[in-house]
Amino acid sequence: MKKRGTAVLLFFFCLALGFLLVNQVRMTDGQTLYVSARTIEDYNTNIKGAQKELEDVKKLLAETRNRLETLQTSMENEEDVREAAEQRLADDLAQFRMLSGATALKGPGVTILIDDGTRDLLQWEDPNELLVHDADILMVLNELFAAGAEAVSVNGERVMGTSAISCSGHTIRINGTTYARPFTIQAIGDGARMVSALMGPGCPGTILQDYLIFKVTVEDDLLIPAYTGAYRETYQKTITQ
Amino acid sequence: MNKKGAGAVLGFMALLLGVLIAVQIGSNSSTEEGGLIPAARLSGLEQELKTVRAEKESVMQELLDVESRLSQLEKENISDDTLMQQLSDEVNRYKMFAGITDVTGPGIIITVDDPVPTEETDGYSVIMVRYDLLLSVVNKLKEAGAEAISINGQRIINTTEISLAGNNVNINATPTAPPYIIKAIGDPETLEATMTIRYGILYNMKETYGLKVSTVKQESIDIPRYSGVIRFRYAEPAAE
Repeated sequence: MKKRGTAVLLFFFCLALGFLLVNQVRMTDGQTLYVSARTIEDYNTNIKGAQKELEDVKKLLAETRNRLETLQTSMENEEDVREAAEQRLADDLAQFRMLSGATALKGPGVTILIDDGTRDLLQWEDPNELLVHDADILMVLNELFAAGAEAVSVNGERVMGTSAISCSGHTIRINGTTYARPFTIQAIGDGARMVSALMGPGCPGTILQDYLIFKVTVEDDLLIPAYTGAYRETYQKTITQ
Repeated sequence: MNKKGAGAVLGFMALLLGVLIAVQIGSNSSTEEGGLIPAARLSGLEQELKTVRAEKESVMQELLDVESRLSQLEKENISDDTLMQQLSDEVNRYKMFAGITDVTGPGIIITVDDPVPTEETDGYSVIMVRYDLLLSVVNKLKEAGAEAISINGQRIINTTEISLAGNNVNINATPTAPPYIIKAIGDPETLEATMTIRYGILYNMKETYGLKVSTVKQESIDIPRYSGVIRFRYAEPAAE
């Protein structure tokens, strides 16, 4: 009886052992069988991104089609074809100059003043903590664009897609020109949205306020100057069809 | 003797069983915080991604067709008119500066990927949490004279943001995920030398954050255009 009990126990052990062994082997068989949750997440993100791109291109296509049709109908009805074509080119030039920052823009938005902090240092605190750095400006600019800013300037320098904000000692260089504190950032766009993006809990403005002087004012009428520097066109070439 | 032998076998098996159960539970429970998921789920997602990308390609092709018809039509009007030809060239130049044309040229390609997942980092992406590193890389490239930059196909234009939105890093309001492939057109030597300087940004990303970073110089890099519609709602040209 006792011997039998042991045999039954042994049998079940063997069964469970075999089952688990097989399961384990299947699980570790090759790296591709199981992936981390992160990978799935990344795929989902990429799909979302591709969908957004698709939407964007569709919108662009609709707009370009529209232009083509307008051009076709207007060409049929035009008396002075040359003059009309010239007008179109002039309109295009104005449009693309505006998009590439070559035109001064006006509109509502915000003015931000950033200056070195004036409070006393905390014990053991590095004085650097109370100074404005290029990374602070960069973060604020990035936040403004995320909140839909359409045109931005720093101390009167238009911020371009090619503008670097770089620290050079006690000064900051923008578009190759050097500026010292205080820094005035102006941005055209939805004022309320930009303020909440900067001053919400945990937002860059709120954090910077603990160290620096950081003031945001909503404005009705701002003027953002045009980019006055040279455009970079030594290496890049448009790919034509 | 026999009894003792059976006891030993039983003891050994019980031990093995215990270990296996523990391992099994271990690999199951890690699923909750970003552990293992059957790879079969990937193929579906991969398929979906391919489909959306293919559709985008075909719409893009259609867009290019319509654009070439448009420019053909416009060219008919301005043929053998030098003044208008000049005007047209000027339009194309500013279009390029605005980032709404595909461009090509020499430059560098930087690839940034997350460290090999460990117990600590699995479940979140270092480069996505520290997206300010991407911001800094782009800033350094601009400083080194880059003329056109893209990250994972998103062209950096005047108003481009890189922001953490929930679990994604959005660039031009488009969700992106690692690996990040950053392309820049400009002088390849200057770009590379600026980026790979000792204790510089890429060094820091590798040493401090453990990110996988590589840099390649290339004679010819294609950078896609900004594919959204840019329409200002607040800004208008100021009369000068």
